[in-house]
Amino acid sequence: MEQNKNILKYLNKELSNDELKQFKNSDDFKTLEKIAHYSSQIDTPKVNSEEALAAFKQKTNTHSKKGKVIGLNFKQLYKYAAVAAVLLTTSYFLLFNNNTNIVTEIAETKTFNLPDDSEVILNANSTINYSKNDWDENRNLELDGEAFFKVQKGKKFIVNTTIGKVTVLGTQFNVKERVNYFEVKTYEGLVSVSYNDTLLKLPKGSIFKVVNGKIDSVKTFNVNESSWLEKESNFKSTPLYLVLDELENQYNYKVTTKNIDLEILYSGGFAHNNIDIALQSITIPLQLSYKIENDKIIIFADDKKD
Amino acid sequence: MSKESLCNEIYFNKFYSSHIQSASNFAYYKSGDKNTSLDLAQEAFIKIWENCAKVDFNKAKSYLFTVINNLFLNKVKHEKVVLEYAKNSPYLDINNQSPEYLLEEEEFKTKLKTAIENLTEAEREVFLMNRIDGKKYREIADILTISQKAVEKRMSSALKKLRSKIVGI
Repeated sequence: MEQNKNILKYLNKELSNDELKQFKNSDDFKTLEKIAHYSSQIDTPKVNSEEALAAFKQKTNTHSKKGKVIGLNFKQLYKYAAVAAVLLTTSYFLLFNNNTNIVTEIAETKTFNLPDDSEVILNANSTINYSKNDWDENRNLELDGEAFFKVQKGKKFIVNTTIGKVTVLGTQFNVKERVNYFEVKTYEGLVSVSYNDTLLKLPKGSIFKVVNGKIDSVKTFNVNESSWLEKESNFKSTPLYLVLDELENQYNYKVTTKNIDLEILYSGGFAHNNIDIALQSITIPLQLSYKIENDKIIIFADDKKD
Repeated sequence: MSKESLCNEIYFNKFYSSHIQSASNFAYYKSGDKNTSLDLAQEAFIKIWENCAKVDFNKAKSYLFTVINNLFLNKVKHEKVVLEYAKNSPYLDINNQSPEYLLEEEEFKTKLKTAIENLTEAEREVFLMNRIDGKKYREIADILTISQKAVEKRMSSALKKLRSKIVGI
């Protein structure tokens, strides 16, 4: 340890004369002295400081004359260009490409007007998407769920759903598109429905229905009968599971069933304001029973007493 | 702004002249490449000149070496370090001209050179700054912005490696 310190001191020329004398007597001094001597003879490229300074001045002069000139910084330009591009595109979307999205939750309906004052009533758990931008030219909207339309006269009015497309000029009609279920009801005027390759004119008071990809022959309904617009859902020969789906849309409950044929056809309706009455109006005609547990509804077959 | 500013050309020239050699040497210890060491040092001075207003005059020296170190890390590919002895450099015992002695010394020098070339960069720069530039540990510590203890540690470990390579094998 002491020796190590002395070695360091020796190389740093910090040993006093006495210390140096003593240190020279140590065993490995000879090697150390040689290392110290020869290592300092390693050649380094000699720099002529005047020449180097002149070269330096020349370099800095081409770099910058009269102090510092900040060159045209392209990186900086790119930055500004990128910011401008982002601003332009966002303002384009904000100002010109005004896509409106209207959504209803379960057990909620919304009434609103389209830019041409056509009226839309959106049923529960549904979405409508349209572009405000060129509405007068292009009355075109996307529907997912169920809605009632009262269309002002004008250009073609098109309702797109994933299942089918409804085109009208000016009428009142209802479009319902749920999982595996598509239904159009005409309340007034004439509605043109295109489904796959089928194109159909639907006069006032008719229903067009597609269940599980099969077209239900066109039927009529009573234009004055109450519908979900009056807080009621009505069905005509509709499979039970679709009725229960609609129930889930209108009430925030999860419906499960036990030992029931879900394909059984149901005609009737249920109210939107009282779950008990609604369930009774579904189960009693079909001779079923139900139970409500928290946010769950269980529907099961009546015990056969006979 | 203090009077001693590097933006003042007189001060800058003085600063340049007193440090260009050791800056170039420092680059050489790191890279072991004669052709790039001066360029590296020049580039570092240009950086300082361009940022003269931001560089504290009292810290300019350690800043200079830091810049060289960074430039070296960014630019120079790590290649094998090759050192050379100065021509006509004297042997330790100038009076001894016996062929055995000369041969012995030459052998020692070769071993030493290889051993230094194989030190780590940190060890080599400290060791050679002390041996060739005659810088004290304190000064080296200031330049590299490390503690004097760290410098001494690098010296010790460098010496240990050199001795074991020369004597041990």
